Amino acid sequence: MSEPPEEPIRYIDSTVYLPYDYVAGDLKAIYLRALKDKRILGSKCSKTGKVFVTPIPASPESFAPCNELVEVADTGVMTTFCVVNIPVIGRDLELPYVASSVALDGADISIFALIRNVKPEEARMGMRVRAVWKPDGERTGSHEDILYFEPTGEPDVPVERFLHRL
Amino acid sequence: MKRAVAVVGVGQTHHSSRRADKSMPGLIREAVDRALTDAGLQYEDIDAVVFGKAPDQLEGVMQPEQFLVGAVGAHLKPVVRVHTAGSVGASTALTAVTHVKSGLFNRVLAIAWEKQSEGNAMWALSPNMPFIAPLVAGAGGYFTPYIRAYIARTHAPGHIGPMIAANARDNAGRNEYAHLREPMTVEDVINSPMLWDPIRYLETCPSSDGAIALVLSNEELAKKGPRKPAWVLSGATFVEPMWVPGRDQVDPAAGRKCAKTVYEAAGVTDPWNQVDAVEMYVPFSWFEAMWLENLGFCEIGEGWKIVDRGEQKFGAHLPVNPSGGVLCTNPIGASGMLRVGEAALQVMGRAGAHQVDGAKLAVGHAYGGGAQYFSMWVVSSALN
Amino acid sequence: MSKLRNVAVVAYSQAPFVPCDVHHTSTEMLYPEIRKALAACGVEREAIDYQVAGSADYVDGRVFGFVAAVDVMGSWPPKQDLHLEMDAGFAAHYAWMRMQAGDCDTAMVCGYGKPGEGETNRVLNLQLDPYYQGAMGLDLASTAALQASAYMKRSGSTDRNLAEVAARNRAAGAKNPDALLKDVATADELMRTSWQVEPLRRGYLAPTGETAVCLLLAAEGKAEKMCRKPVWIQGVDQRAELQSLGARDLARSEGAALASAKALEMAGVKGAAEVDLLELSALTPAEEMILLDALGLPPLGNRGPVVNPSGGPLAGSAIMMNGLVRLGEVFRQLSGTAANSVKDARRAIAHAAQGHCLQQNLFWVLGSERRWS
Repeated sequence: MSEPPEEPIRYIDSTVYLPYDYVAGDLKAIYLRALKDKRILGSKCSKTGKVFVTPIPASPESFAPCNELVEVADTGVMTTFCVVNIPVIGRDLELPYVASSVALDGADISIFALIRNVKPEEARMGMRVRAVWKPDGERTGSHEDILYFEPTGEPDVPVERFLHRL
Repeated sequence: MKRAVAVVGVGQTHHSSRRADKSMPGLIREAVDRALTDAGLQYEDIDAVVFGKAPDQLEGVMQPEQFLVGAVGAHLKPVVRVHTAGSVGASTALTAVTHVKSGLFNRVLAIAWEKQSEGNAMWALSPNMPFIAPLVAGAGGYFTPYIRAYIARTHAPGHIGPMIAANARDNAGRNEYAHLREPMTVEDVINSPMLWDPIRYLETCPSSDGAIALVLSNEELAKKGPRKPAWVLSGATFVEPMWVPGRDQVDPAAGRKCAKTVYEAAGVTDPWNQVDAVEMYVPFSWFEAMWLENLGFCEIGEGWKIVDRGEQKFGAHLPVNPSGGVLCTNPIGASGMLRVGEAALQVMGRAGAHQVDGAKLAVGHAYGGGAQYFSMWVVSSALN
Repeated sequence: MSKLRNVAVVAYSQAPFVPCDVHHTSTEMLYPEIRKALAACGVEREAIDYQVAGSADYVDGRVFGFVAAVDVMGSWPPKQDLHLEMDAGFAAHYAWMRMQAGDCDTAMVCGYGKPGEGETNRVLNLQLDPYYQGAMGLDLASTAALQASAYMKRSGSTDRNLAEVAARNRAAGAKNPDALLKDVATADELMRTSWQVEPLRRGYLAPTGETAVCLLLAAEGKAEKMCRKPVWIQGVDQRAELQSLGARDLARSEGAALASAKALEMAGVKGAAEVDLLELSALTPAEEMILLDALGLPPLGNRGPVVNPSGGPLAGSAIMMNGLVRLGEVFRQLSGTAANSVKDARRAIAHAAQGHCLQQNLFWVLGSERRWS
């Protein structure tokens, strides 16, 4: 029997490798396929009529099911945002970038979106933005079909209008 | 008549960016041994064990309490594992309180911990799920937009965040267990790199390894000593959904409701004047101002002014985070229990150099998820 | 035994059990079951004081996986809530405990997660300590095989015995519309399946599938208004053991023996033989035999109380919610709504388990009568 090592073993390298195949679900699949046609769909609460993007099966507010899909605009307002200056493993977004909560016209909740074609220091709450899509023929029905949002150049929405509906 | 419950022992590790000197069982053992010693108890005196920690992906293990049973003397005892995101440490303590309050257990050990140096915390906190654009870069990337909204609502001056951060370090200087303890000035903070505008590097919580354990006891045994206990007057864990239209993540409804619930049950009608110390979960500087409002210590829009006037500093009217808080120590799974545990230490008179003079009533608070989970308790040096 | 509050199971709803639901996410599977459970009791969401769930991030394949469920549980205005990183059966135990503490009168317990998205066998390797047992690459089948081997050596049980236990469960599952596997398999057929890890054949391993469950609990005073035949919790206890496979006698379950004895004591029941049926969260025939042995019952499950009239996990295993499914199946049996009904059943045992080799066990004793007057 050999001698124990002089230096105690202090670390074990343990790489975890687990494969997962995620199910989008029919509801999400319909939403993703509509992106190929440059359509953004939301689900509508059967009780209050409020619209949720991306579509969800039931309203968390009313507890009622959402039984209808409706289209919302691909334009909206930057309600609040931050400028990200920190890299993350596995991502190759150029830093800094503006990540914003965007209230799409027609939707009652906001999405989180990448904003481009604006200098980070010029980004503002209230900026009107529109989606920039991948060109025809290149969209596949994935969240990447929307490349980013960019300012439309329209006048800003007064901050009071959304400061309590971010 | 509901049963009374008290904290009779508190033990925590020396928190640091990497506890390379201990394995996971060793780290937890450090906290548990200290808690039991503090309570004057042996492992056999514990009737049940409640564990809490945040996502297991942080360490690359699954339900690690299963291999920790032996380390905490839980063989053939009931064991529970709580996971409520960032608030977990506090909700774990409250789960242990319920165990005692049910009358089924006399003494329960609550343990919360994280050894996140063993994995990659940034990766674990930046979900890269299919079907969704991967934009959120760490917890900061999620919360900073709401800090921006707070500043827009209140027109607070930009130095408030840095003031909070510098003050937290000042507090941590009085807490031997804290991770980050070197003092820094407001200028140091302002000059540090911007991570997610408007939050800078030195206004951000660290990534820490650490554990804390509490012993919860029924009234009869708590009164036997050896320590003066911290009586848990009230506690609650509330949650709200992510996608409620118009949900306010600057002044969350679940936080407000949680505070109201625990104050009412504890007979606190004027938090600003009745509470002697509060440990609240502040992972990014500005949340201290936001939570002063959300927890009902002041009117909406006034939180930053309390900071500006220094009324939340150690020795001032209402010391906030005398331990240094999450900004100075953040083992994610433990942080919530550090808050409620530090509140208990205050009213037990055992907070050492960061003891708030004569503290009799203290509040502990934690939150998690997308500002969804809120967990709080009110502790007192007196039972009534 | 001091007097406790009488609490009953008043509703149970389970989503169709399939290998992998490619049409729905876990929360989309859960929402209809919550609505159905509430409807069965004729109450609105506001009637429920407390909500608690059990699930695991690694089964969900995402961090904070449980947070999404909050949005379908009717959590607005904000609700008092808890989530355990445990089999949902343990969440039901906690809800019961809260009622004993006087902190709620009604509770909703949920189980969800889609193990079909990942490889359960590999995922559960991560439950083992990373320094030694996990590092050896032991998966669920391997550790179960170690235990089966130890049990067979001690008891003299044979391959055929295991096959018969599995076949009995499969036959019961074939009569249960909520089972995953609805086809009968004879002992001979199962003995012809190849070894997964000897002495466990493929046919002896619980097949994993996807479902979602919602169960409602209510205290005396409310339970009677919510359910025609509430099923009363008469006793409950849970115990964990050391995980280290070499540190315990795998041929027995000391924890199951202790937890069941404590639960029966609380219920004022002399022994497990006094109940009419049991629902056990056994993932292999050997586990079932070890549990029955710990309960002092015939290990083959062919005499005495009926074992797993639902078919148990061997007819379909819902990882992280098997315990809640067992509790729900007992509810169905005692409230007269089970498909594969045990005649005149008035008292039953339900069991939840966690970890490799039955490391942690929870037992309920339930009955048609209130325990405490």
